[in-house]
Amino acid sequence: MESGRGDFIISLRSVFLKKGNQQKFSLLSLILFSIIFLILGSFNFKIINFNKTIIKEIIYFSSFIANIPENSIKKSFIKTKDHFEYYNDYLIVKNELQKLENRDLEKKIITFENIELKRLIDDYFVEDSKTYARVLTDKDSPFLRSIVINKGSKNGVKLGMVIYDDIYLIGKVVEVNFLTSRVLLISDINSKIAVTIQPLNVQGIMSGLDTQTGKMQYIKEDELINKDNQELIIVTSGSGGIFKSGIPIGKINLTDTLENKQNIIINFYSDFSQLKYVKILSHTKEYSNFDRSNKKNYEINNDKIFKMNSQKENIKVLQQQKIINDEVRLKFELENIKLKENLINTQKKLEEQNKKIIEGQNKSKNLEFLELNLLYGHKCRKNFFKPKLFMINTAEYRNCVLNKGLIKKN
Amino acid sequence: MINTNKKIQYFLYQYTPAILLYTSILSEIDFNNSEFKYFSFNFAYILIFHYSLKREGSIGYIIIFIAGLFNDVVNGIPMGISSLTYLLLCAAAAYLRNITLRPNIIKDWFFFLITVMVLNLITFVYLIFFFEYKINYFDQIINIIFTFLLYLIFSHLFKIYDNVILGKFN
Repeated sequence: MESGRGDFIISLRSVFLKKGNQQKFSLLSLILFSIIFLILGSFNFKIINFNKTIIKEIIYFSSFIANIPENSIKKSFIKTKDHFEYYNDYLIVKNELQKLENRDLEKKIITFENIELKRLIDDYFVEDSKTYARVLTDKDSPFLRSIVINKGSKNGVKLGMVIYDDIYLIGKVVEVNFLTSRVLLISDINSKIAVTIQPLNVQGIMSGLDTQTGKMQYIKEDELINKDNQELIIVTSGSGGIFKSGIPIGKINLTDTLENKQNIIINFYSDFSQLKYVKILSHTKEYSNFDRSNKKNYEINNDKIFKMNSQKENIKVLQQQKIINDEVRLKFELENIKLKENLINTQKKLEEQNKKIIEGQNKSKNLEFLELNLLYGHKCRKNFFKPKLFMINTAEYRNCVLNKGLIKKN
Repeated sequence: MINTNKKIQYFLYQYTPAILLYTSILSEIDFNNSEFKYFSFNFAYILIFHYSLKREGSIGYIIIFIAGLFNDVVNGIPMGISSLTYLLLCAAAAYLRNITLRPNIIKDWFFFLITVMVLNLITFVYLIFFFEYKINYFDQIINIIFTFLLYLIFSHLFKIYDNVILGKFN
């Protein structure tokens, strides 16, 4: 028993204290060193934070450099794939563009109206600062979904700044170094965002679930009813003051999941695996001092809205008129075709009747001739005693019969 | 010419584990958090355990310690936690090597499972109690299972690679 315990201690001592052939430190010293690292990391001392920042900067850039070959292969693969899908994409994009152009005017009106309404309720934010940053690494960790960007405190990045991919929300800054910053993505399980489900106007809290999906954790309403099966859009609600309201996040496309509130899955608009450049924004509230310039702006915007609305109305009327005109034209065309058919039929009938009339006339002339022939034939027929008269079946004979004998010349 | 070839082979034999370790940590293709929902494994654990067990000194403790720091920074978790787990993994492998007279792959395999479970337990406890992280336990269980299952395959592949390089080197 004692020898077993002794062996165990000997082997443990050998494991932790023995330096190998090429080892400069024993395992125990390095383990102690990492524990010290962990303990010091939990304190918020300036010198420790400074050292941590330096180490992080070095590692971020070395990670960026190490990923250059991999990223270039990835890029060329994506380019080749894009090239093959170019034509199909073109058709889809063309179609989409047409749809979007139609929506554009309506969107402009809504945006203006929205700005005016937000000003009225004192919830209008203006962009305070705007920077673009490059994504250095977007390696997901099992514990934290985040990206590292190449802008830090040197470029004015501060904790809590909002990060966008185009117009879509992707996260907020959670760590700021001198040249780099870390962004916590909304797909992370730890990110809780106050959101609104539009157009139902239901408030809730969303957290990340998967690389491309999020989950509604809490919904204010007891029941979500989506009668018209509309597409449900998730936007920030602005509660809590971290994000401004109305930033698009994603959409819920499974209407049947609404019955089970715990299972509402949100598909994000942004593809977090394809982030290359991001937009860093901070917002400040616009003070609604209705001074002269504000009033002027307000009036200008109102005029714009009015003009746009009248344009919209005009377009609607014109569209309706066009529809009516099209319908009338179609009707006329159909009637025209019918009338043409009738005309052709009538003409045919007329020709047939004309033929019949001519035939009847011919018959009646023949009958008249035959009757007169019986009565006056002898006055016109040529014979031995009347050599000056006409032979039967000649035109002269016929004329003579029809004239009831020879016409005497005065 | 022969000397240069031998030098290359020696370099490959000596430094492949460390290169693989750093590549797996710094690369964006990370099996530890793969695109698939029900598939992920910790390649670094397999690599460190295998080489600490089968080829002592092939990856230096300092290199492992720094790799742990890199992993923490890249993944955004508190600095030092991965270094600690990697070094404890080395310690477990070294202990197993010391007490083993006749190596048996199945015994190594199950010892690896127990070690990985203990190390993950330490990580979870530290992250949850000290830093209030939320952890998806289902994903972590899948990660542990696949790390355990794939140890056999990778261990075999590493052996084949070593034999090929060593065969040419000799």
